[in-house]
Amino acid sequence: MRLMHTKLPDFYQKAIDAGKKLRPETEVEIRGLESFKTGKLASLRVGRVEKEIVEITEDPDVDKVEVIILPRNTETNHTVIIKGISKKDGKCKKAILESMYVSSPGEDCELFDVEEIDDRRPSL
Amino acid sequence: MKLKYKVVLKGAADGVVPINLAFIDKKDIVDAEISYKEACQLVGNDFKDDCATVNVIDPDAVTVTSDGIMSDGAVVAFACADHGIINKDFGFMNVSEIPYSETLIAEEPHMKQWNTKYYRGRRLHRGPSPEDRKPLESHNENMTMTGRITNNNTGSEMMNTVDMTEILVLFFGQMEIMRDGDLLIGLAGPMVSVGIGMVVRERRGRIFGWNYGAGKTAHNSGEFAKTVKRDCPVIAADKKVVAEYTLRALDIGLVPGLHIACSPVALSIAKAYGKPIAFDNIEESAWIELESVGLTRKKLEKPSKPMTREEIIAHADEILPGMEGGIKYKATEVAETRYVEI
Repeated sequence: MRLMHTKLPDFYQKAIDAGKKLRPETEVEIRGLESFKTGKLASLRVGRVEKEIVEITEDPDVDKVEVIILPRNTETNHTVIIKGISKKDGKCKKAILESMYVSSPGEDCELFDVEEIDDRRPSL
Repeated sequence: MKLKYKVVLKGAADGVVPINLAFIDKKDIVDAEISYKEACQLVGNDFKDDCATVNVIDPDAVTVTSDGIMSDGAVVAFACADHGIINKDFGFMNVSEIPYSETLIAEEPHMKQWNTKYYRGRRLHRGPSPEDRKPLESHNENMTMTGRITNNNTGSEMMNTVDMTEILVLFFGQMEIMRDGDLLIGLAGPMVSVGIGMVVRERRGRIFGWNYGAGKTAHNSGEFAKTVKRDCPVIAADKKVVAEYTLRALDIGLVPGLHIACSPVALSIAKAYGKPIAFDNIEESAWIELESVGLTRKKLEKPSKPMTREEIIAHADEILPGMEGGIKYKATEVAETRYVEI
């Protein structure tokens, strides 16, 4: 199971399909991974998320699903790559690597007015 | 029964303060027979429609500023609340006591201050232990996070990640709030921006660890160091308070650039007091940052008549560099005392 991962575009499509499974007119909004152009997602979680999206739409009052993907620990550690490019041949003559922490809004900002929160994440 | 706390409300100090900053005295929590975390939640509940950071202060303990000066009081827990929520994983952190040991004193020369009459025998709290930090990862700072609010550097750097405001609440300033003392509030300016990067080497420091020692700069940003925090609001203690604590360190022979940091404040007080400065131990990268704010080796080496302790405290406003547009306030003018039902 640990070897199985889903392509990022496939995840988007699976999430949309799951949201529209019960009622095709359901609006599905996915956000949070905009800076990822490619990538692989753990397929076990993708399957669970698909099932949970369908579960959320079982409520007949739900006509829109938001799927928001955030870092669980919102102080994230990034690498900064500073590349010096020569226009003559397009080659990078030198690159400097730095680290950069980014603190960003966490899950609580999305949950203030939610009536019921069913937290199915494993504990850290 | 009610729990007392102090709060500097958003908008205080003529609009300089961007975030609600709450402080609870450890003794009041002990008297109420609740946990630090429960106390932080109670205060968080008082800001159901807003956000707040919460620091639990033990005035009887001691801590150390980032430039290596020991202070009365310590942050023993810190948290942040957003609309009454404290994030269950990352919103609260305890800061365990660091026990006294001869090894610590030997490895960290600035800690000789702990054995002076002012601090001997008192509990030490600096940064959180690895156990306190869980489930943070090794790269994370000593930070609590809930929603949009973070309380970083063991309760001294508070941010809102949505409106992107921030304030530095230097520990001496926190203690002045706790004891209704005297504050200086303004913008960091180039001197404080540079000074914040001049630190001492500590295991479990409030902000830094073992990477950077006295005479080094943690910024290592050259001429950019003076701009990195320049525009950030700061709550600091009145300069006479900072002078008193720094003089205590100089009085036992601690040397800026060797035992304590080569911050502009430490260097300026040592120069005025006629105390040695470890000029040759201050690294070139640190000199570049100091000289970028006009603090040159030539100026510091120029002979001058040493001032007395009393003269330095009396003239602290002229001697200690730092802050732009700083305004003096009584702590009672910017912090109000509140009570929350337990």
